[in-house]
Amino acid sequence: MQYKKAGTEFKLVDAMLVIMMIVPIVLAILMKVLFIPVGEGIEITGAHVYTVLNMPVSDLPISEAQVNSLAVLISILFLCLYMTHGIRAHVYTKRAVLAEWAVEKIEGLVKENMGDYFMGFAPFIGAILLLSAFSSLSSLVGLFAPTSDLNVVAGWAILVFILITYYKLKCGPWYYIKGFMEPIPLMLPMNIIGEIATPVSMTLRHYGNILSGTVISILLASALQAASNLVFGNLPGILGSFPFFRVGIPAVLSIYFDLFSGCLQAFIFSMLTMLYVSTSFPMEEYMRRKSLKEKNN
Amino acid sequence: MQSLDIISINIWQIVVSLLNLVILFFIVKKVLFEPVKKMIAEREAMAQSIITEANETLDQAKEQKTLYDTKIAAAHDEADAIIKKAVARADHRSDVIIENAQEKADGILRQAKIDAELEQKKAEEGIRREIVDLSSVLTKKMLKREINEADHREMIDEFLQDIGEIS
Repeated sequence: MQYKKAGTEFKLVDAMLVIMMIVPIVLAILMKVLFIPVGEGIEITGAHVYTVLNMPVSDLPISEAQVNSLAVLISILFLCLYMTHGIRAHVYTKRAVLAEWAVEKIEGLVKENMGDYFMGFAPFIGAILLLSAFSSLSSLVGLFAPTSDLNVVAGWAILVFILITYYKLKCGPWYYIKGFMEPIPLMLPMNIIGEIATPVSMTLRHYGNILSGTVISILLASALQAASNLVFGNLPGILGSFPFFRVGIPAVLSIYFDLFSGCLQAFIFSMLTMLYVSTSFPMEEYMRRKSLKEKNN
Repeated sequence: MQSLDIISINIWQIVVSLLNLVILFFIVKKVLFEPVKKMIAEREAMAQSIITEANETLDQAKEQKTLYDTKIAAAHDEADAIIKKAVARADHRSDVIIENAQEKADGILRQAKIDAELEQKKAEEGIRREIVDLSSVLTKKMLKREINEADHREMIDEFLQDIGEIS
C-alpha cells in the first residue's frame, strides 16, 4: 500500500476550498456592515431589505435572510467539497473519517426512523440538517440567522409537505381522498386542517424557537445595559457609560439560544420530516397493489 | 433602509428558500454522499478481495495438508512393509544359517564319532598286537624255546576273541 504525501497542488486546492468556505460568510458580514445602519436602542424587526426585485404576483425583497441563506448554501457546498477532497479507500485523513462518520450517522438515522425503502432520503435529511444548523449558527458570527425569517423555514416545510403528499398519492388519488374520511366521513374538515397544520406547525416551531432566542438575547442585552447604567452610572468618564454587565453574561445564554437551540431545532426539523414522510406512506397498501399489478402482468 | 416585519410572508421568498433546499439536497448527494459511499464500497470490495484471497489460500493449505497426510501415511505403510520384509528375510536367513550350522555340527559330530570308533578300533588293534607281542615274549621267556610264531598268534587271537566275547 503506497502512501503518497499530499502534493503542492492538492494543498493549493485545499486552501482554495477553505477560503471559498469562508468567503461567502465574510461577504455577508461585509454587506451587513456596509449597508445596514446601526440601530439606536432596542429594536426587534425582521430581516433588513437590501433591494427589492419586481416580480409577478408580489415583489421579491432581497433581505438579509435571503443573502445569508445563499451564503450558507455556498459555504456548505465548499465544506462538502473540502470534506470529500481526495477521499480514497485506504487513505485515512481526519476529514475523510469525519465525512464517513457523518454519512453513516445520517444513514443510520434514516434507516432507523424511515426504514430501508426510504434510504434515498439520507442526503435530503443531511441537507436539512446542514442547512438548518448552519443557518441558525450563522448568528454566532453576527449575521441575521436565516432561520429566524418565517419565509425560509416555510419554504422547507412546504417542500416536506409536498413530499408527504407525494407519498400519500402513491396509492392513487382515490386512496388519498379516502384517507381524509377516516375513521368517519364527518372527520373530513378536521383531517384537512390536520394536514395543513403539519407544515405550519413545523415552520412555526423552527422559526419561533430561533427568533425567540434572538429576541430574548436582545431583551437581555438591553436589560443588562440598563442595570449597568443604574449601578455604574455614577462612575466618572467612560467608566460610567461602559456596560459592565454586558460582558460575559449574554455569552452564556448564547450557548443555549444560538448553539444548542440551533442544533436542536435542526435535529427536530429533520426528525419530524422523517417521521411525517415515513408515516404518510401507506407501505402495506402500496406493496399489495404492486404485487397485484405484477401478478396481472 | 427598510426592514421586514417580524412576521412577513412573501411567496417568492418561500419559493427561493424551497429551491435552496432542493439545490442543497443535490449538492449533498453528489458532493458528500456519493464520494463517501463510493469510498466505502471500494474499501469493502478491497476487504472482500482480501478475505476471498485468504480463504483461497486456506483451502489450498488444507488441500496440501491432506495430500501430505496421505503421503505420509503411505510412507509409513511402505516403511512397515519394508521392515516386515527385511525381518522376514533376516528370519529366513538366520534359519538357513542355523540349519547349515546344525548340519555342519551334525557332520562334525558324526565324523568325530566315526573317527573315535576308528581310533578305538585302531587302539584295540594296537592293544591286541601289543598283548600278542607281550604274551609271545612272555611265553618265549617262559618256555625258553623257539616256537612257531604264527601258531602262537593264532592261539592268542582265539584267546582274545574269547575274552572279547566274555567282556
